[in-house]
Amino acid sequence: MKKMDFVGKRKFFITISTILIVASVISMLAKGFNFGVEFTGGSEIILRVESNSFSESDVRTILQNISSDFEAARVTRVRSVGDPEGITKFSITLSKTFETEEKAKVQNSIEQQISTVGVKGQVISFNETGGSAAEEIRRLTWRSILITLAAVLVYITLRFNFVFGIGATIALIHDVLITLGIFSFTGYELNVPAVAAFLTLIGYSLNDTIVVYDRIRENMKKFKGKEISSLVNESINQVFRRTLNTSLTTFFVVFILFLFAGNAIKPFAFGMTIGVVVGTYSSIYIASPLVIKWVKSR
Amino acid sequence: MRTDRIRLVIVIVAIFGAFLALLWPSEEQTYRGLAAIFQRIPLGLDIKGGARLEYRVDIDENVENPSEVIDDVWTVLRNRLDAAGYTEATVRKTFRENNSFIVVEIPAATDTTRAEKLLGSTGLMYFGQVIDESQIDPQNDPRLKDLAKLKKAEWLPSRDGKIWYLVRTEVMLVKDLKLVSPQIVSASPVPETRVGRFGYKVTFELSSKDSEIFKKITQQLVVPESAIGSSSSKEKRLAIVLDDVVQFAGYVISVIPDGKAEITGNFSLEEAKQLAAILRSGALPARLEKISAGWVAPLLGSDIVKTSLWAGIIGLFVVLIYMIFTYGVQGIIADIALVYNTFLLLGVLAATHSILTLPGIAGIIFTIGTTVDGNIIIAERVREELKSGKSVKAAISSAFGRCFITLFDANLTTIIAGLALYYFGTGTVKGFAITLIIGVLGSFFVNIVLSRLLTDALSSFIRKPAVEERGAQS
Repeated sequence: MKKMDFVGKRKFFITISTILIVASVISMLAKGFNFGVEFTGGSEIILRVESNSFSESDVRTILQNISSDFEAARVTRVRSVGDPEGITKFSITLSKTFETEEKAKVQNSIEQQISTVGVKGQVISFNETGGSAAEEIRRLTWRSILITLAAVLVYITLRFNFVFGIGATIALIHDVLITLGIFSFTGYELNVPAVAAFLTLIGYSLNDTIVVYDRIRENMKKFKGKEISSLVNESINQVFRRTLNTSLTTFFVVFILFLFAGNAIKPFAFGMTIGVVVGTYSSIYIASPLVIKWVKSR
Repeated sequence: MRTDRIRLVIVIVAIFGAFLALLWPSEEQTYRGLAAIFQRIPLGLDIKGGARLEYRVDIDENVENPSEVIDDVWTVLRNRLDAAGYTEATVRKTFRENNSFIVVEIPAATDTTRAEKLLGSTGLMYFGQVIDESQIDPQNDPRLKDLAKLKKAEWLPSRDGKIWYLVRTEVMLVKDLKLVSPQIVSASPVPETRVGRFGYKVTFELSSKDSEIFKKITQQLVVPESAIGSSSSKEKRLAIVLDDVVQFAGYVISVIPDGKAEITGNFSLEEAKQLAAILRSGALPARLEKISAGWVAPLLGSDIVKTSLWAGIIGLFVVLIYMIFTYGVQGIIADIALVYNTFLLLGVLAATHSILTLPGIAGIIFTIGTTVDGNIIIAERVREELKSGKSVKAAISSAFGRCFITLFDANLTTIIAGLALYYFGTGTVKGFAITLIIGVLGSFFVNIVLSRLLTDALSSFIRKPAVEERGAQS
């Protein structure tokens, strides 16, 4: 394989990444996220309708007939390849939670209202999370991500050195921010499985980064005194085939999962699909070139 | 070669253990065909459907022993669920940040309303008088119903639901002689010491405020031991009623003036403990704050399992084929390692009864990634070593030596991330962390042991790449 110059164009790629991160942050601030009820508090009702022609607005009409509380409900159609023919599923998200008895009433009246239109419908899931609980889940999730990052930083510092630890951590933050940005931009639901995807992504991207770093470390010992940027470039080249093949195989799995898997896994698969691409890119173009700068200036 | 033999033994023992754990006969037969392999892996409610309720236990700050309160709450909820027929339900205590939580999971339930009412009610306990009992359900017998009306009492079932007691709140119809929500200061099982008795009894102490009423009640109900069994004594039993279920019915053999009483009945330790817990906690000893409640229909769950399983299998196949095309013999080795590790992971899940949740499935998929990655790293390294002019055997040996460090660092970092997730994450994320950690450990094992074994065994099939011109010149 021809040797490629990964390091020489680092300014270009760091610029691209910076632009992506800024765009992500802007999107997060301006557009926010389509959080799942676990994070916002509220209720999510999944409705299964035995009809092909039922639409979101039909569901909305039904909801409005039941109570004005439902006017602010978010109704989205959820569909995945492999769903039985003639079945449509809708997710109804409300920002409020219900009293025990209210819940049964809501469920019954939705099912009744649908049957009056002459369609068979069934509520197949009803989840609610209290506001304080949602806040707790949010806090714990953030904390677990931050602690993970810190633990990783410590380990890499011990096994490699602090510069590499910083490089890997920045690459991780880079990946998380850009993937979050894409979630925000596309309006894809950010729920607990999606967070699991982020955590997987952290593991994956890290794995990738470590493999490159490991080669750099090895080469630093082997070729003492060699100019660092060419050494890093050499190292990336040596592991590039591996990185490409690993990423491709992982990509196959998560992309197929994204296409075919049920709704509950979809946000995860979506996060992973993007994460694999971003994570691979970052370990080659961000994590390693970043190290050059610091190793040189020491 | 000797080390290879050791590797072979380890590899066979490990996979044998995994299959044993997976295929150990179980009574349930929920799955057919290929999916039967999942028979022994308990699935999370997010997959198989069911209701999940989470409560924060609100304990008074000045309570001396909070963990006892939590235990009591647990017992009360467990009792209520069992009594209502939710015997499949699980009740778990969890703790985060100085808060205690109770998580109730009811598989296959799609009616949280009933469960919520059952669990959330504060519960009512009282000492009443048993006037009569019946083996027949009073609902089906008009005469018994009439009797209840006549006696101004109520038919209540026993704990096992086989006997019904006619219970009156007001003892001997004396006005205001009733003890509802008594304050029980302590209750504990004690070994029986009297001659002719065995097992355990339960002692309890009422607060001084309630002692006075209890004294009057016992005065009314006292039956000399010699008179027990006579017709007049049958109307004079004391009942401990919780949530409209008679928890205990027995005779009062002496007046209890100081609120310190004991209940004898040749109980086993378990029974005595339970009764003591009921006395202590009669009404829920703490307020429960609903954190979340939800249910998923099995319908939704089965859709997910089916499609995800297929997606996983298709993905796996694409990877398997790609690996053979790209790496030849070493691709086949990688494929064997991959399938091996997947079964190993499933086996560990089955053996440890870890619950497989959706994020857990994500963890399995991640495992596919790391296993393949390890093999790719090895295959690439072997290629490199061969290119540098080494013999096949030497190349394999030095490649594995080098890869050990790479894989060690890469996998250990992932495990550190997994541990952090496990300790600081919430429920579902924990499930992910477990499969992630087991999977990564497995992939490391498979890469170092199984792949090495296979690579050595198939070394004669590994082609030395034609030494490239560039290499020859240097």
